This record gives sequence, C-alpha cells and structure tokens, in this order.
Amino acid sequence: MLRWLVFLVVYLVSTGAGAAVTLKIATITPDGTSWMQSMRKGAKEVSERTDGRVKLRFYPGGVMGNDKSVLRKIRIGQLHGGAITSGGLESIYPDLRLYSLPLLFRSFDEVDYVRSRMDRKLIEGLEKKGYVSFGLSEGGFAYLMCTAPLETLADLKEQKVWTPEGDEVTRITLEALGVSPIPLPLTDVLTGLQTGLVNTITSSPIATIALQWHTQVKYLTELPILYFSGTLVVSKKALSKVSEQDRAILEAVMERTFIDISKQNRKDNTKALAALKKQGISFIQPSNDGQAQWRKQVSHAIETMSQEGFFSRDLYDELQQHLARYRQETSGK
Amino acid sequence: MKSLRQYQVIVVLLILLLLGGCVSMATEKMTGHISNAMLNQPDPEIVRAGAPAYLLLLDSMIAATPSDQDLLISAAQLYGAYSSGLVTKEKRQKKLVKQAMDYASRAFCPANEAVCAAKNQSYEAFASAVADMDRSDLEALFTYTASWLGSIEANRDDWNAVADLPKVELLLQQVIDIEPGFSYGRAQLYLAMLRTLLPATMGGKPEQGKEHFELAIQYSEENDLMAKVAYAKRYARLIYDQQLHDRLLHEVLDANPEYPGLTLSNVLAQQQASMLLEDEYF
Repeated sequence: MLRWLVFLVVYLVSTGAGAAVTLKIATITPDGTSWMQSMRKGAKEVSERTDGRVKLRFYPGGVMGNDKSVLRKIRIGQLHGGAITSGGLESIYPDLRLYSLPLLFRSFDEVDYVRSRMDRKLIEGLEKKGYVSFGLSEGGFAYLMCTAPLETLADLKEQKVWTPEGDEVTRITLEALGVSPIPLPLTDVLTGLQTGLVNTITSSPIATIALQWHTQVKYLTELPILYFSGTLVVSKKALSKVSEQDRAILEAVMERTFIDISKQNRKDNTKALAALKKQGISFIQPSNDGQAQWRKQVSHAIETMSQEGFFSRDLYDELQQHLARYRQETSGK
Repeated sequence: MKSLRQYQVIVVLLILLLLGGCVSMATEKMTGHISNAMLNQPDPEIVRAGAPAYLLLLDSMIAATPSDQDLLISAAQLYGAYSSGLVTKEKRQKKLVKQAMDYASRAFCPANEAVCAAKNQSYEAFASAVADMDRSDLEALFTYTASWLGSIEANRDDWNAVADLPKVELLLQQVIDIEPGFSYGRAQLYLAMLRTLLPATMGGKPEQGKEHFELAIQYSEENDLMAKVAYAKRYARLIYDQQLHDRLLHEVLDANPEYPGLTLSNVLAQQQASMLLEDEYF
C-alpha cells in the first residue's frame, strides 16, 4: 500500500507539475522556407527535451493575418506568440524602431558591434510590455531600387516611391527627403510596379527576389537605407503555464534557433544581392558628397521623430555613442 | 558488382556499335518501350535500381546521334523525372538536373536562339525574346520549361536560380495559352505550384493557383494523383484548410494508381499522401 502511494505521488509530481502546453505561434513567413524549417526543427527539439510537455504549433504563411492581427489575436488569447518583424512590434514597444532608423548603419560590422551591446536592452524592454523574445533575427539591409538610376536626392524626388502602409518612419523620412511617398499594402506592390503606380521600392535583396519585385526594377542604389530585423515573441501570460525547467529548455533552443536563422539570413542576403546583379540590375554607387547630402536630410527626419516621441532619446543617444566609438576604433584601419 | 555494371554498359555499347545508325526507327521504338515500362512500373524501387542503366543507354544513343530531337527530349524528361522523384541526395540531384537541362536546351534552343540567349539576362529582355518565340514545337518548349523548373527546385539554395522563377512562369503560361491541357494538365500543375509559393498577405495569388490545380485535375481526368497531392500540400496548407487537405489526400490513397504513363508517379503520390497525412501540420 505504502509503495503504491509513493508511486502515485511520484507519478502526480512528474506529470502534474507541468501539464502539456501547446504554444500557438503565427508568422507571415511561408511554410517550406529555410526559416520555417529551422523553427520546426527547434520546436521538435523542445518537444523531445521536455518529453512532450511543451509543443509549438505554427500557423505560417500569414494564415492568421498580418502582424497587426496576429498581435490582436495574442492579446485575446487565441494565439500565444508570433514571429514578427520589429516594425510590426513598434505599437507595443516603439524602441524596436531604433535599428531601422534610416541610414543608421553603414555596414554589417557596425550592426554587429551595436547589436552585441544593445539587443539585451531591447529584449528587456519588450518583456516589460508582456512579451518574451527569443532574440532578434536579422532581416538585412534594405536598398532603394528603381526603374531609373538614383544617385542624388534630386533623382529620388522625381520618382513614385512606395512606402509600406502604416510605416510612419519611412513616410517621415521620405517626406524629409522631399518625396511624396505612395503608401501601399505589401499585397499590392508587385501590381503597383507592373502598372507604374510606383517605380521605386525600399527592400532587402531576399525579399525583392522572393516577392518577384526584381522583375520590375532596373537599378539598385548601393547605400543601406534601412536595417530590418524580426523576432519570435511569446506572451508572458502564456509562458506562465510552462514550468521553470521547461522554460529554460524552450529559451535555450529557440534562442539558438534564432541565432542560426539570423546567420543564415545574412548569408542569403549577400547571395541574393549578388543574384540581383546577375539578373541584370545595375548597381549605382552614390558619391561621398551625395551620401553626405542624404545623411544631412535624414538627420532632420530623425530629429522630428525624436521630438514626436517615436523612440526614447536616451537609447538613441546610447546607440549613436556605440556607433561613434566603433567608427573611431576602426578609422584608419 | 562494379564489374557487372561495367559489363552491362559494355554490352549495351557493343549492341549499339553493331546496330550502327541504320536502325534509328527501332531505337526510337525501343526507347519508347523502355520509357513506358518505367513510367508504368508500380514498384518505384525497380525503377530506382534500373533507371541509371537506361539513362546511360540514352546517353550513348545521343552520343551517336547528337541532334536527334526525340532522343534529347526523352533523355531530358527521364533525367528530370528520375532526379526529382527517385533521388534524394542533393549533390546528385544537382548533377542530374544539369544533365536534363543540357539535353532540353539542345532540343529547344536551335529553333529558339533568342530565348535561350536571354535566359541569363534581365526579366524584361527575356520577356521580349519570349514574345517572338517559335511556338510550333510544344513538346520541346514544355520539356525545356519543366527541366528549368526542376533545376531551380534542386538549386533552391541558389538565389540566382530562385530569381529565375518568374521567367519559368512566363514560359509555362505560353504552354497553356497554346494548349491548356498539355501533358495530362502537367503545365497547369506546374503553374499552380508556382502561383501558390507566396501567401496572399505577401502579394501571392493562391486563388489563381487553386484554379490551375483544379484544371490540372480536370485535364488528367483525375488520373494524375500527383496533382491532388500538390494541391493539398501547396494550396490547402497555405490557406490552412485541413478539410480540403485531408479530403484530397484520402482520395489519392483510395484511388487505383495504375494508369498508362502515370503509374509510377501515382505510386509515389500515394507514398507522399500517407506522409502528409501523418505529419502534424494542422
């Protein structure tokens, strides 16, 4: 009898403490892509290492709607998390905009230097808003691509420039550059390019090829305009149902997965940029004077955004200090 | 084992040497018979083991008559089918699709030099070459297009290959514009697969893909089970419709796979259908 009771207690403790939890995660990323394959592989490892107590169920390809509706579904508990672009999370935590401010980074080395010093702070900021992030993943640099060569600001002003619907940072930046942008949802960009409604896009090389926009542009200006990133977030509320021990496994596996995805994205973007050249797109290198002119105008836009509370000034200043230090350390090398 | 294979090759070569070039009609008949035997074979393992010998035979026949259009098309199709359906090793697949593309180009390009020359140019240049294309040999056009698609699929880690997908889509559109039901609706099927690559939220046109899937099924009179498998895997999963997904796959499993020219493909489709139903996607 006693033995039986001991067995029962052990059984209850081992199964009752962490009842199985299935975390429902949505993303716009289509199934079958290398990113989804990595996430599914990570999910499989989490399930195996927690003996099936933590499972991740994915809703890929935007079946749960765009980033905005995914966040709404997380709030009402229909979903538990999402792999979302930093832009999509701005409404929750505006400082995620910082990395994607225009003309901020000049190289991937600068990105790595700053991110290794600031990612943690952004992730903590997000957690204070109720979302646990498993690390930021790189989406890459976005470049201006157009049917005409864009070397100077005067060239840009003559174009019909697309801006993602609802993307205030891009809108304010373009307006500071003297452009009246044309807002369109992602769904309409290819058609917009085909019909001539727009003729200029800002996009990363991988997105440009995956979305087939490369068939409609002829020139790429070799100046990183924006830096894209994304992250996998799960609501703290949903994670509270996972035991401490299982949560440690989930975090370790998914953080490693996101580092891998980030590395793969960088490789893919580098290859995709080379592919764009092979596909007959001409690369334009703006002169140093030209670049200085772009940066001067853009700094006005960033000042406007800072004054309007688009991001916290302290974090922005810290980011600029890191950049200044990096540039100082590497100048003359 | 190695010496046995060498012996088989030598025998094949000797037969070819003895027969010389005077029996092209007979060889054509023979290649047709062997192709059919493979495509109608219900056991994929037999084809997996036997196909390489036949591919070698085709290679040697092409070496003897390098511009035989029918042989080139047969070889491209079989190299393509073998690599995509029966070979799993990536490196090997890449080599085989390259061979398929080479034969397909030799069959298609002589009459379409401008299109082939524009293959590696911008989309705009390619589209303008396609506009003036010779459309008389649909079999060569379709083989070239399908081989290119197979090559992209095997090289999907190469962004330059992926960037060529819109060009392939344009060629497939030409095929169905000329003959919508071509090759049991396979042109419809490939177009459907391309049009379901992206979800609607990213600017994709899955509903257009759906129409092409339906047409592919219709033109094959429901005999091409691979069309239903792809419809489930690419479209039903993309829009997260489990009911449609499961219905299509159960129809595949319940069907008789034997149909002239499609048996092998249908058996492979049934294997895939079982795997898709087993994995916990929904």
